[in-house]
Amino acid sequence: MDKSILELHDLLKRGKITSEELVKEALRKSHEVEQKYNAFVTICDDAKEIKVTDSLVSGIPFGVKDNYSTKDVLSTGSSNTLKNYVPFYTATVVQKLLDAGAVMVNKTALDEFGMGGTGTTCHTGPVLNPWDKTRMCAGSSAGSACAVASGVYPFALGSDTGDSIRKPAAFCGIVGYKPTYGMLSRYGLFPFASSLDHCGVLTRSVIDAAIVTDIMKGIDKNDMTSWDSSNIHLKEALTGDIKGKKLFYIKEICDITNYPNATAELKSHLKNYFHTLELLKEEGAEVEEVSIDQNLLNAIPSVYVVISCAEATSNMSNLTGIIFGPRSEEKNVFKMMKDHRTIGFSPLIKRRFVIGSYVLQKENQERYFKNAERVRRLIVDKMKELFKEYDALILPVSSGPAKKFDEDKDVIDENTNVLEEHLQIGNFGGFPSITIPNGFVNNLPVGINITGNCYDDENILNIAYTLESKMPYKGQIAKEVQ
Amino acid sequence: MKKQVATIGIEMHCELKSNSKVFSSAKNAYSETPNMNIAPIDMAFPGTLPVVNKKCVEDALKASIILNCNQPEYLVFDRKNYYYPDLPKGYQITQMTEPIGINGKIEIEVGEEIIPVYIHDIHLEEDSASLDHFFDTSNIDYNRSGIPLLELVTEPCFHSAEETSAFIEHMIRVYRYLGISDADTKKGQIRCDVNVSIADEDSNELGIKVETKNINSIGGVIGTINYEIERQTKLKEEGRYSEIVQETRRWDEESATTIRMRSKVDAIDYKYFIEPNIPKFKVNEEWLKKIKASIPRLHLERKQDYIKNYGLSSYDAEVLIKEKDVSDYFEECLKLGIEAKSASNWITTQILGYINKNNIAIHDLYLTPLKLKELIGELNKGTISSKQAKEIFIKANEEKKEIKAFLSKDNAQLSDKEELTKIILEILANNQAQIEEYKNGRTNIFDYFVGQVMKQTRGKANPVLTKEILTEKLK
Amino acid sequence: MNKFTKEMVDDYAEKLLIGLTDEENKLVLDEFEAIDKSIDLINKIPNIAEIEPMTHALDDFTYELRKDIAEPSIPIEDALRNAGKTDGREIEVPKVVD
Repeated sequence: MDKSILELHDLLKRGKITSEELVKEALRKSHEVEQKYNAFVTICDDAKEIKVTDSLVSGIPFGVKDNYSTKDVLSTGSSNTLKNYVPFYTATVVQKLLDAGAVMVNKTALDEFGMGGTGTTCHTGPVLNPWDKTRMCAGSSAGSACAVASGVYPFALGSDTGDSIRKPAAFCGIVGYKPTYGMLSRYGLFPFASSLDHCGVLTRSVIDAAIVTDIMKGIDKNDMTSWDSSNIHLKEALTGDIKGKKLFYIKEICDITNYPNATAELKSHLKNYFHTLELLKEEGAEVEEVSIDQNLLNAIPSVYVVISCAEATSNMSNLTGIIFGPRSEEKNVFKMMKDHRTIGFSPLIKRRFVIGSYVLQKENQERYFKNAERVRRLIVDKMKELFKEYDALILPVSSGPAKKFDEDKDVIDENTNVLEEHLQIGNFGGFPSITIPNGFVNNLPVGINITGNCYDDENILNIAYTLESKMPYKGQIAKEVQ
Repeated sequence: MKKQVATIGIEMHCELKSNSKVFSSAKNAYSETPNMNIAPIDMAFPGTLPVVNKKCVEDALKASIILNCNQPEYLVFDRKNYYYPDLPKGYQITQMTEPIGINGKIEIEVGEEIIPVYIHDIHLEEDSASLDHFFDTSNIDYNRSGIPLLELVTEPCFHSAEETSAFIEHMIRVYRYLGISDADTKKGQIRCDVNVSIADEDSNELGIKVETKNINSIGGVIGTINYEIERQTKLKEEGRYSEIVQETRRWDEESATTIRMRSKVDAIDYKYFIEPNIPKFKVNEEWLKKIKASIPRLHLERKQDYIKNYGLSSYDAEVLIKEKDVSDYFEECLKLGIEAKSASNWITTQILGYINKNNIAIHDLYLTPLKLKELIGELNKGTISSKQAKEIFIKANEEKKEIKAFLSKDNAQLSDKEELTKIILEILANNQAQIEEYKNGRTNIFDYFVGQVMKQTRGKANPVLTKEILTEKLK
Repeated sequence: MNKFTKEMVDDYAEKLLIGLTDEENKLVLDEFEAIDKSIDLINKIPNIAEIEPMTHALDDFTYELRKDIAEPSIPIEDALRNAGKTDGREIEVPKVVD
């Protein structure tokens, strides 16, 4: 199970292994990882092998983040409000994988409804980092990142509203990719913030991310924001040739001089990052430094919080315990609804709802919500302007490796810095964005992110693929270092 | 106290007709069986998304065009957020930022007068689920959840219940003529919120407005307005105007009064924001042109036309335009060359009488305008009497048989001269005494002979021809 | 600066049908202060009010509206299978009174 999709497909085709063996192994590994790292909400012990076809994923096990609707399989969003919810329909992207013959073996834990970046607010408890159990995986796709990094299967579905695929991928030493907004249907994904939510995948190599996305993508009559991508062929686009490509990084984020109190960890993280940029140049790509208005960058976290909380508070208004979810015994219908929500939601989510509601109030909307949406446009316009000249933006993920559990960063405080939050730019503009492993800092994995213009997924993946090939981290499996 | 003038504005909700709901593919239909017509999003199952129905948008645009509104450059929907057990998503998808029509104006007839009505906006939205209340529980039926609603908001431009109800009736006809709704108040397809305020006759400012919500009959609207004017005027007269507050009331049919629901202080902030799951949709000129071209002539235009160009009475014209189907039938008759007054007479008397009695729609009538033309043709030729024509009309419809079938020997007038002459000669031969009397000057005995012929032919002898032959043979 | 108060936070929570503990309330207040400061920065961006708010991830998007075709309803068993209380074909709740 530590192999890539292509390797597994080849072994299956040649009869060296069977789908049954793979499924059994994935289930065994799931129980092991569950015990060690608490990564799952549900393990599908009744998962059955599937006939191997020409589809590359046929017969191969995979995991699904628990905020995807899966027919007849518990789907909780890692929230107590849906702790007993068993859907009658399957999300479009999951269905496409099932139709291609992939075998779903578990549902992975996440920060409740994706609203967190730590992997600690799942109703089943925190997910531990498979490299170091005293650390977080980051989130919200914590369980998926942990499972793929641990070698339970070659790929798992995630979702990404701020950086929820790309950050845990970095902290777990794997690949995390969210395609252009609308390339993957969101039908069946429990919404967090609809204008920022992306489906995506966590894998151990760029080519696996391309293979899985090629299968999942496509216009969906159930999602008006999806579009026809039949002329995009991600796997075929991985040529390894990036001569003449132009990339840029943002001075205000990457330059060590921005951080007068930088820790040794941060210093080595940035040094490592700049070293990797050299590898791109070796392949004939150009990498340039670009300066962006610091005020605009500083606004990113607030813009994200305001917009995502506002949309979330509305998106989760259906959670009242009337049609689904555990029902309160209250005799007054409104108290019954309130009880369900008060008991069901974790404190973090409740706080975000209140913020979201506040910024949408009639008297506050201009100052908070609409201005946040305006700055979102300013940031996106700036990026689109740069994408006219450059193929991609390349940045380090986070300020270093995974955080310790006692360094909870989810309370929004004034010190939140752009280095931690810049991946949200990718969600603001619906840009394709991929994180790949970028070696180690203090023996823990760190990531590097490549983000490009909308619809330019082939180009972005090819750059990531080429860079990946220059480094020895492709396909790596987590080894506990502590 | 100075004379008081009432100012009234309304919000009128109309259920649109379509195959599927406005944001889901579930069937848009009333059903006695609960939860029969449901798509996952109608119950807000997690992960479901709205998908906009093109027909509903086009129908809403038709109404927007008819009301002479400005149409937006982009179609945009908003979420109206509030918690209620009949609202599964916790928000209603509606239009606030860019309604499908704004700043409209139309003219309507109120009695003999024509008055302008100003439209604030018209927008497309979805209905909520429905609740059935029992002793200590309520049941939720999601059939109605997601059914398309068109909400029309007027400026405060009416000054009486009469004007307001005339407008509602006008709009009901408009919706029916456009074919976008049955606009049946009995089925709850029309619901109104009414704002009433009063002010001194010479005042430039409006008084405090009081809103009465969810009135589902025109009678209720009239009752509400009259009651509110009376209530508010009385309070003002008594020097208690301060007791009139901006609030929401409801119409109580039984007591014929309005009852307070909540004050403005408890007003909900709906936290509107643009629905992110529905991308902006360009409303291009070409599309609008196509929609415009599909709009039929409406009732008022037709009425004027019938009076001016076809010489019908105002009364008959009104009867003809009351229902679009009837008016369409009439216009089809005109197209076929049936004389207008004749067509009008047939429709207003025979046809409407028949379809009302048998409870069928005019377009389901067996006797189509083409067949009606044939029938009128026979009548004009004199082959049948007008009494026979009426009988054939009913028989043809009931038996669903061609007109010809009823023109057979049995039914048709006996107009064959030779045959009739033969019968007459026979009768004359058997009535020699009467011939003598006739020839001796008792000319009124002529009618006796006619009667005998009719008796012999069971009334089918062509009376004109009979008289002609008799006169000749009795010479 | 008492721009945000405990009562205000409780009021907003109540409208969302959510109960907050005192501790949660305090955390919201702290976050409000932080966001508000950052929003102050945003509000200082020149001509901010003239920018069109960005409401969708992609706004260069063309697509077709759905054709008006009705599809079969979901089965009643599916509609009701997760509901806490049902009555026949309907979901039952404590009596809703205005």
